[in-house]
Amino acid sequence: MTSQNNGQSPVVEVQGISKQFSTDHNARVHAVTDVSIHIDHGETLAVVGESGCGKSTLANLIIRLHHADQGRILLKGVDITDLNPREMRAHRQTLQIIFQDPFASLDPRVRVGASVAEPLRVHKVATKEEATDRVRHLFELVGLERSMLNNYPHQFSGGQRQRVCIARALALKPELVIADEAVSALDVSVQAQVMNLMLELQQEMGLSYLFISHDLAVVERIAHRVAVMYLGQIVELGSREQVFRDPRHSYTKRLLGAVPIADPRQRTERPLLTGEIPSPVWPAGESPALVTCTEVEPGHQVADE
Amino acid sequence: MPLLSVTDLTVTFDEFTAVDSVGFTIEPGETLGVVGESGSGKSVTALSIMRLVEMGTRAKITRGRVELKMHDGSTLDLLGQDEPTMRSIRGNQIAMIFQEPLTSLNPVYPVGEQIAEAVRIHEGSDRKTSMARAREMFDLVRIPEADKRIGQYPHEMSGGMRQRVMIAIGLCCGPRLLIADEPTTALDVTIQAQILGLIKQLQVETGTAMMLITHDMGVIAEVADRVVVMNQSKIVEQGPVDQIFHSPKEAYTRGLLSAVPKLGSMAGHDGPRPFNLAGDLA
Repeated sequence: MTSQNNGQSPVVEVQGISKQFSTDHNARVHAVTDVSIHIDHGETLAVVGESGCGKSTLANLIIRLHHADQGRILLKGVDITDLNPREMRAHRQTLQIIFQDPFASLDPRVRVGASVAEPLRVHKVATKEEATDRVRHLFELVGLERSMLNNYPHQFSGGQRQRVCIARALALKPELVIADEAVSALDVSVQAQVMNLMLELQQEMGLSYLFISHDLAVVERIAHRVAVMYLGQIVELGSREQVFRDPRHSYTKRLLGAVPIADPRQRTERPLLTGEIPSPVWPAGESPALVTCTEVEPGHQVADE
Repeated sequence: MPLLSVTDLTVTFDEFTAVDSVGFTIEPGETLGVVGESGSGKSVTALSIMRLVEMGTRAKITRGRVELKMHDGSTLDLLGQDEPTMRSIRGNQIAMIFQEPLTSLNPVYPVGEQIAEAVRIHEGSDRKTSMARAREMFDLVRIPEADKRIGQYPHEMSGGMRQRVMIAIGLCCGPRLLIADEPTTALDVTIQAQILGLIKQLQVETGTAMMLITHDMGVIAEVADRVVVMNQSKIVEQGPVDQIFHSPKEAYTRGLLSAVPKLGSMAGHDGPRPFNLAGDLA
């Protein structure tokens, strides 16, 4: 399935968003700096980068767990940047999130059926009977047995728990699901099954995903478009083919070159490097240089070096 | 004659059999990759070889042999040795590094001191000699600015540098076998690439055999000579790395491989593509 933009506004559009955090030493973490992205209906945008590059902060900004220092967030054309929590609530039906660790995201003392029903109750979109029906349907959708509805999170495997979290995220029929390292903690066989499920659900429901991951091989599989983040800024953005087949930025190349390929016939010599990623922490009053991007071909933007 | 020969190794935790009749060999200088998903028994196998598994747990090694070839050509069954003998084996003959270097390093001592400590304990050398060895090891594992960093504490170093320190501790007494349990799993991909490159180079330089435990088929493909595939406490399949990846015999291995995203496999495809799961996963 390819992305479809029938002249409607993107599901989400982020314009020049920035977020800094204070540290105790009169310094600031420049977590996200001047990031602009958009995601169309039915499209998956993957954001890749290494620890501390700002990818999770970006997710948390979009879902309004953090408030942006600068920039705007438009959800289906509506500016949600400064909405208060109560005004925001109406929009949360459009926008849901799945986190990395499903065990930490589920209340250990609540039966999973009730956890999946909770969004329906909170948003008052279903009667009790409707909610029960809907939860059963959601369980079916994500490939869990109905008989498991009354079980507690600890009675499930990691993969099953992540399916529960996906079911809960889908309860309100969102249009955009943010998946923040949602398959990273899973064993590889379970990871593949959960990714297949996410692709299936996208086909069936026209979902858009913001797929945040450090794993380039996983991203290559699931994304329509890819944004590469480095020290809080996007250094390359393009279609999956453009970024993976024709990477232009030196960091993208370094990242792709570092991925071990699961084929012993494609072994490469690894140079003995010791370089490390610089810190995104700057003394108060100082800021990282803003990158400027050039469009090297339609839809393919690369930061100038 | 293999350096290490494991036969019929069986380990139980009460009623549960965590390692079930496992057998494999490691030749001198060779890298054996042990791959499997969580709970398959890989780490318990490694800890049993080191005779660390029974410490503070309810684990019992109920059966098997773990035979190490000694310098004089004789073999020693590690499962029959007492703790003082095992102490002389650990570090000197077989060393081990773990996934998370921060929990393996002592937070209140400088890292150089921790390498020197291992040398002093195992070789009885004095402080000056052991610190000189620590400094040599820093160069071996390519830690830049070694003179400054040797006095740093673990929290002052990045994850990649800390894992270099762990490798230095592992190799400081010249073991013939290094057991590395998920040594790059906690690292970012560019740092992982550096550590994998370092491990390969050190094998060339020191001739140390390695047992590399990982869940990551990419890492296995890159460094292993031979591969053991584990599932549910048992060895499912073992063989040369090329055979395991290109003509796996068992349905479990085929399933596992079909679930691995392989960078570059999407070239020429438009849009995302589900995994075509095979073997046990089909």
